[in-house]
Amino acid sequence: MSGENIREMRRLKMTTQLLAIIRYELLWNVRKKKLLGAIAAAFIITTLTLALPVIFGSVYNRPIKSDPNYVISNSGSGSLILFLFALVTTMNSISGEFESGTIIPLLAKPISRTLILTGKIIAAIFTVLAAYSLLYAYLVIGGIILYGPQDNLNLIPLCMLGDMLSTTVWMSIILATGALSKNTTLTTVIGVITFLAANIGTSIISFFTEGAWILHYFPGNGATGYIKTLGIIRSLNLSTGTDNIAKIIIQYMLNPSAHVTYVKIEMGGTQVSPPIFRELYSEPLSLVLFRALVVAATYITALLLLAWYAFKKTQVLE
Amino acid sequence: MSLAIETIDLTKRYGNIVAVNKLNIRVKSGTIHGFLGPNGAGKTTTIKILVGLLRPDGGRVIVLGEEIRESGPKVQSRIGYMPELPRFPKHLKGWELLDIYGQMYCIPSQERKSRIRRLLEIVGLKGRENDFIGEYSKGMQQRLGIAQALLSEPDLVILDEPSIGLDPVGMVDVREIIKDIARKGVTVFISSHLLSEVEQTCTHVSIINRGVCLAEGPLGDIIGKIAGSSVLEIEVAEGLDKIINIVRDLPFVSAVQVEGSRLIIESHVREDIRPKISRAITEAGGTIIYMNMRMKRLEEAFIRLIRGEDR
Ligand SMILES: Nc1ncnc2c1ncn2[C@@H]1O[C@H](COP(=O)(O)OP(=O)(O)O)[C@@H](O)[C@H]1O
Ligand SMILES: [Mg+2]
Repeated sequence: MSGENIREMRRLKMTTQLLAIIRYELLWNVRKKKLLGAIAAAFIITTLTLALPVIFGSVYNRPIKSDPNYVISNSGSGSLILFLFALVTTMNSISGEFESGTIIPLLAKPISRTLILTGKIIAAIFTVLAAYSLLYAYLVIGGIILYGPQDNLNLIPLCMLGDMLSTTVWMSIILATGALSKNTTLTTVIGVITFLAANIGTSIISFFTEGAWILHYFPGNGATGYIKTLGIIRSLNLSTGTDNIAKIIIQYMLNPSAHVTYVKIEMGGTQVSPPIFRELYSEPLSLVLFRALVVAATYITALLLLAWYAFKKTQVLE
Repeated sequence: MSLAIETIDLTKRYGNIVAVNKLNIRVKSGTIHGFLGPNGAGKTTTIKILVGLLRPDGGRVIVLGEEIRESGPKVQSRIGYMPELPRFPKHLKGWELLDIYGQMYCIPSQERKSRIRRLLEIVGLKGRENDFIGEYSKGMQQRLGIAQALLSEPDLVILDEPSIGLDPVGMVDVREIIKDIARKGVTVFISSHLLSEVEQTCTHVSIINRGVCLAEGPLGDIIGKIAGSSVLEIEVAEGLDKIINIVRDLPFVSAVQVEGSRLIIESHVREDIRPKISRAITEAGGTIIYMNMRMKRLEEAFIRLIRGEDR
């Protein structure tokens, strides 16, 4: 057989094996009760987003006005949804196999560990993408019913990709912890602590100190800034950081030359005087987007390499 | 005869515990080879090294002619392995698991289906293949473990304590399956802590304790060696008196007694005397209708061998 043919066969073989491990993992993911729970939670959050204005509207007897930008300005999933999806798809995909002993027959098969890990990651991404598709379809349909025809719906696929990238950062954190600890409980605890730190801790730093710029380099929610539309007083609140890639993408697509201004909250001298928003600095929105993408990609690459190395080297002691 | 497995000074430590200590074993191709030793002897550790789940701390391992250290998946495709008390993902159905594993071996889809159908029948899981593994009993997971070990039609089958967790019927089934695959020329390596189990299936045996090989060779030789002497009970169809004299004159027989209709034959040679006795009686025109190697004494001798090592 020629070298060309051998290479071709090896490629076919790897594709078959990759498909096998993706199937192995997908069948698990879709049968997890945790995943159904996370999807249900995401639907409830979306339902509330859609329905609350309607409820308030009827209470105060103000009919809701049609808003062609409703869907696009409510796109970009919140940190909780991103984290939950990452957690339920990856929290035990490595550690759980060690704990239950199912890793033993799996690793004795003639399939490389690199391929196993790759398949697991691809399966998790497929699962999360499917969940986001359902969620965005729901938001779009609900938005059209309640707020009339919508503009800029062509940005929704890009928005889903942004959410996917944000979720992948969390998945990488969880996979790396799982591969290193081989302990699901520990992995979950570390994941939750990181999540809380990245959301509560960062908003404190963002609002009350001048160190908001640091947050651009951490995973999760970054600093909150404002986009001032030229000359117009109306300003738009924009969260940055790896959790908000979808929101940043949308703003950038709608308004490529915008600048983001970061602020700090200063308490008034006395308890009664209102807090003052002091402007820190401004930067182009394009830079904010570029940086968020680079930071996310860096975390994903570094953490998945770590997970790969740990998984590759590990011995099956169980 | 070529070797299916060879370990040379194989060593594996867990912290301070030396689980496998310069172990040397040689498993000939085409044999049913028992890997016998008490709990904690280092059987599972050795097997995990053979299938690439653990890295040795020292020594060499050659499986099916390939050094295991660097080969990995290439030789794994020729080995069927059933772990000790195997566990499989409980959210998968029995046939799904076998189909996915088959895909990992790159067996074409049609071939996979027919093999799985046949294997499910052989291991007695037919009719349960559409149930989730989470609903299987431990014994059923064990049976699934055997099926997945045979899926790729391997050249070498490694079974780690296959009869633990099986009911007596299951144990008989497993014995039949093992003999059946060995008939096709497949090498079978079975670990066990029970001499009686090895006795009933294996042609060869390695006895291991504390990570060291104490004895190795054809089953009969090893039994003769550890028992020191063997005691054979036989019953012949007719002409007992004539047979007694013939047996008594055999060079390797040290004593013959009559117990009712049976002959009790003692021998001091370190080999299995059954074939020779059988041939001698047949040549003298006798017909053996019953023959039994006294097991109790063997089991005791095995325990003595292990204990002697412990002291
Ligand atoms: N993961 C582990 N960590 C520490 N010690 C272990 C581990 N696995 C096995 N051992 C020790 O190694 C020795 C051999 O164990 P094992 O290979 O399981 O024996 P067997 O299979 O013959 O019962 C025992 O002393 C056991 O306690
Ligand atoms: Mg064992």
